[in-house]
Amino acid sequence: MTHSEIMEKVQRIFREVFDDDTLVIEDSTNSSDIEDWDSLEHITLVVSMEKEFGLKFDLKEVNELANVGEMVDLIASKL
Amino acid sequence: MNEYKYEEIEVGQKESFTVTVTEDMMSSFQAVTGDINPLHNDEDYAVSKGHPGRVVYGMLTASLLSTLAGVYIPGKNSLIHEVKIKFSKPVYIGDTLTTEGLVEEKHDVYSLIVLKVSIRNQKGDKVCKAVMQVGVAD
Repeated sequence: MTHSEIMEKVQRIFREVFDDDTLVIEDSTNSSDIEDWDSLEHITLVVSMEKEFGLKFDLKEVNELANVGEMVDLIASKL
Repeated sequence: MNEYKYEEIEVGQKESFTVTVTEDMMSSFQAVTGDINPLHNDEDYAVSKGHPGRVVYGMLTASLLSTLAGVYIPGKNSLIHEVKIKFSKPVYIGDTLTTEGLVEEKHDVYSLIVLKVSIRNQKGDKVCKAVMQVGVAD
């Protein structure tokens, strides 16, 4: 799966989690760009990614992520 | 009170408990919340709306979800993150409600469980259903 294919699915997850069909995310998007992206929504995002892509993260990995691009790269490394 | 650790909880595990809704519970709930809506507090008004008596506060029924997580599964180590809830049927004073939680998912990364919950009255009718996301503290 390419970076852009993963990004497309990740964007859909973000729109579902934040209940915003207009939300557009980029590699550089981080929690300071989305007002509702708090620690609980972060958990929901990570769990949703695990379910969507059928993979498991560990806590250290997800705590080190700085933005969406790094999240997509992490997903790609596990597929 | 149960004290399940995350590792001890299994997908498919169930926990349940039963309580009967009393007049005192209704009074206490009103005192805490200040919800004086007549549907819950005025017998004649509730009957005029087609109910056999005062309707139990939906959020009083929902408060049983707190007990499910905080006392039964996981119990002491519970941290409720999210609750999605639907109220399917009205509850009346004197109804006996059985709350059952089924562990539907476990997410190791955050030691998180997802509970599918049903609350049924003494006739077996589902009065409330919910999905809870609950963290399990170390």
